[in-house]
Amino acid sequence: MSDRRWRSGVGLVGLALVAVAALAVSGSAFGGAAQSCGTVVMNEQSWAGSTANTYVAKYVLEERLNCKVKITNVTEGPPYFQAMRDGKVDVALEDWDNTLTKAGQTYIKDKSVRVVGANGITGVIGWYIPRYLLKQYPAFKTWRGLKGKESIFKSPESGSQGMFLGGDPSYVQKDRALIKELGLNLKHVVAGAEPAQVARWSQLYKQKKPVLFYWYDPQYLNAQFDLVRIQLPKRFTGCLDDEKLSGKHACEYPSFGLDKLVSGKFATSGSPAVKFVKKWKWTSADQNFVANLIAGKKMKAEKAAEQWVKANAAKVNAWLK
Amino acid sequence: MASIAAAEPVSRAPALAHRPWWRGKLVQVALIAALMYVAYRIWALDYPWPNDLVWNSLSLHLDDFQTWLLTERGKEDQGIVFTVFEGFSTSVDRFVDWFTRLLLWMTWAGTTAAGVLLVLRFGGLRAGLFTLLAFASFALTGLWEESMQTLALMLVAVGLSLLVGIPLGIAAGRSSRVNRAITPLLDAMQIVPAFAYLMPVVILFSIGPAAAVVSTMVYAIPPAIRITALGIRAVPVNTVEAATSMGSTRMQLLGKVQLPLARRLILLGVNQTILFALSMVVIAGLIGGGGLGAVVTTGIYSNPALAILAGLVIVVLAMALDRSTEAIAERTDPAHRHLDDSRKSRLRLQSLVGTAAILAAVGISKALGVASTFPDETGDPPRAATLEGWLLSKIQVVLDYVQDPATWVFAVTERIGIFVLQQLLLPLQQFLVETPWFVTVGGLTAIAFVVSGLRPALTTLVTLSSIGALGVWALAMDTLSQVLVATAIAVALGVVLGILAAESDRFSKAMRPVNDLFQTLPQLVYIIPLIYLMPVSIVPGIVAGFLYAFPVTLRLVERGVRDVAPTSVEAASAFGASRRQVLTKVKLPLAGDAVMLGVNQAVVMVLAVVVIGGLVGSGGLGYEVAQGLVRGQFGQGVIASVAILSLGIALDRVTQGTRQRRKEGIA
Repeated sequence: MSDRRWRSGVGLVGLALVAVAALAVSGSAFGGAAQSCGTVVMNEQSWAGSTANTYVAKYVLEERLNCKVKITNVTEGPPYFQAMRDGKVDVALEDWDNTLTKAGQTYIKDKSVRVVGANGITGVIGWYIPRYLLKQYPAFKTWRGLKGKESIFKSPESGSQGMFLGGDPSYVQKDRALIKELGLNLKHVVAGAEPAQVARWSQLYKQKKPVLFYWYDPQYLNAQFDLVRIQLPKRFTGCLDDEKLSGKHACEYPSFGLDKLVSGKFATSGSPAVKFVKKWKWTSADQNFVANLIAGKKMKAEKAAEQWVKANAAKVNAWLK
Repeated sequence: MASIAAAEPVSRAPALAHRPWWRGKLVQVALIAALMYVAYRIWALDYPWPNDLVWNSLSLHLDDFQTWLLTERGKEDQGIVFTVFEGFSTSVDRFVDWFTRLLLWMTWAGTTAAGVLLVLRFGGLRAGLFTLLAFASFALTGLWEESMQTLALMLVAVGLSLLVGIPLGIAAGRSSRVNRAITPLLDAMQIVPAFAYLMPVVILFSIGPAAAVVSTMVYAIPPAIRITALGIRAVPVNTVEAATSMGSTRMQLLGKVQLPLARRLILLGVNQTILFALSMVVIAGLIGGGGLGAVVTTGIYSNPALAILAGLVIVVLAMALDRSTEAIAERTDPAHRHLDDSRKSRLRLQSLVGTAAILAAVGISKALGVASTFPDETGDPPRAATLEGWLLSKIQVVLDYVQDPATWVFAVTERIGIFVLQQLLLPLQQFLVETPWFVTVGGLTAIAFVVSGLRPALTTLVTLSSIGALGVWALAMDTLSQVLVATAIAVALGVVLGILAAESDRFSKAMRPVNDLFQTLPQLVYIIPLIYLMPVSIVPGIVAGFLYAFPVTLRLVERGVRDVAPTSVEAASAFGASRRQVLTKVKLPLAGDAVMLGVNQAVVMVLAVVVIGGLVGSGGLGYEVAQGLVRGQFGQGVIASVAILSLGIALDRVTQGTRQRRKEGIA
């Protein structure tokens, strides 16, 4: 008995020795030569536009500035703010006003997250319908045209009312309040996360049936589906965008100047990548082009970024000046 | 909510089997339901939960708590508590990171050789071959690096879960006070959605492997504790007494009697822990766990075929870990290996040769400059390519078909979806949401009283009232209607398939990979294609619920029926009972405890995926929880989660039925 125990003890020690040796060998082997730029950690969010941003910037940082880029996939909002505060994420290239939420303000105030200008894209949120509907119902250009015609949008779950397909739970929304305050006979149906919502409306689109839903631009699918934004009442002072606050909500969504964020630590690091991120900027058309290569044409993100960068030398050079 | 999966010791008291518990009670329950329905017809929508009975400021208090945590965490000189968290997260981060880099540094060839030889040495040929297949699939799908990240993360998460879970399980097994104290906590850990506690976890442990490991542990520890406790308790009392009377100390009793006898159940706990942990890979991806989880989450948005592929790799990883630990456990079981000296020395030789082979494989691969990941483009021509493109194109063909509303399949599935939604789900939802609140609370409490007794009824009353006080009554009733349907389907499927599996070894073997698939494949990757086929709300969420829940019920029922004492079966057969009579009159009644436990676990598992339902169009509490995380409404997420937990407790008390009473009777 004791003999066996002794042996297993020796075995364990042996195993530990092997592990330590491996640690030592691997440790020395992993350490690459440091580059002047160092490592930049960029966060890629779930939507395809964010993938396009991230990989184009990565390509330029690596090829032109000799940086090493690591990509993380932390979910947006408080989780990625906290990641920036802890120094685990340096850059996020597209924030849809998460910094304005109460939780977001905490991070902005203590300077652990900084907004470093617009990324050049204007985010638009609104109520969308397929363009083919306009042929039959030209009045659908504005919300007034919907009045009395709501039932053509009816769905299995909306009874006699029309269905309004709500957006991803993580997106800014006030559609329930809008429907109520505009006095429309619509039922707000939550479709769930964006891919689930796309499944719902794209099936109706393919059958050329009526559908009305929460949507936004830029979005790569807008290149594949011909969609129109319905005009909602103009914005007025005091018009609210948060459904949870009581007050008036009956105006269109604001346009979002999408922000680039960097962590406080990265901003003061002196890395040449900081200057690059501050200058980095493109357009909705650029982003949709790359996002459509990736998500629509299923090209590898690295290849899509390379293709765009090679075709847009002037824009790329402006980032590097 | 009793114990998880597969192993409740079954009562063997045939005397109690004569009268099924539901006879008579079923009538009473139906009567109560009928009364509720009448009330609904008269007062539908007249009495929503009154606003005066809602604790409105709770959400703000919870938000304030998170802000406080955030400020404390950000302070320059942190208290001892935060320093401990910091230390833990840094060391786990570093270890996982180092482990991942080691796996990559060893090159794909070296790592494969190491994994396969290790399993081959300790688990035998079959498990070794299975491991080889698993590594091949990591490589051929082009997801090598991500697989290694997830493998490292999961080995650490499972290891730590067992490190915490098994000792606690032993404590719970030896003391019923510990057990009673710990059970509600375990229920909460399993039911409260990870989305609700992700943000506090991120604040305390930051983003990265440590946070991913911690959130995985919260979900994977309960089965380890429960099944270990069950194993210790299942050790026959007279064996324990014999050992004690011969003068064993408590430590000796544990080490020489209880642990060896509980071994098989503890190993089952290990397997369940692995499956539960692997079902958290996607959530881990949201907070910096990276690996396959991150591929799934971004893939769902921009490349569904890739998300499906990554999901399948997660399943393969789960199955490989599961099968190899099982094989290792069996081969190293002291009860089964009677080692003589020659076998011992042969094994020692094998170990030596194996170690040498691993070192050689790594050394040679490094010397040849084999790449760390796959596809290996070093060398000319490239050493190896992947099947990724081919696999993705095949999956895409299926997806394209699924997404085409002009096919006959769509014509059928869409109608089924609409029918189920309109004829079953919406009426039920309407009934529960619109019935006056006091009727629902009273009715469900009465049902709990009839089925389970006074104490469960009181618990039901308290939990239902607290749901109302949290201000989410309507949302909770919406969710309840879906949970009821999903649980009913899961139980029906689980019981039928479980019986079949108990009666036929071949069927049991065939079902095992199916069970593993649905327990570990991330739901979103198959539910989203389903929405294309059934473009309606609620139905896809219910499918996700019962597909995730039925395997546990199946395993419990199969185990219960199989464990019926052979003497009872022989006796019945001797009296000329047919196989069917033996099943319905002897085996099923005797397995009643396991079946009831199966119902219970189905409820728990269905509730555990309520958030997934919220992400695929089920609305209700799941949507609130999902929204809470990203939009920074911590309070909203916590409140909805507590409501989900309350639903779980209420449902458990309503259905626990005679399980408790029957045990008392036997005692």
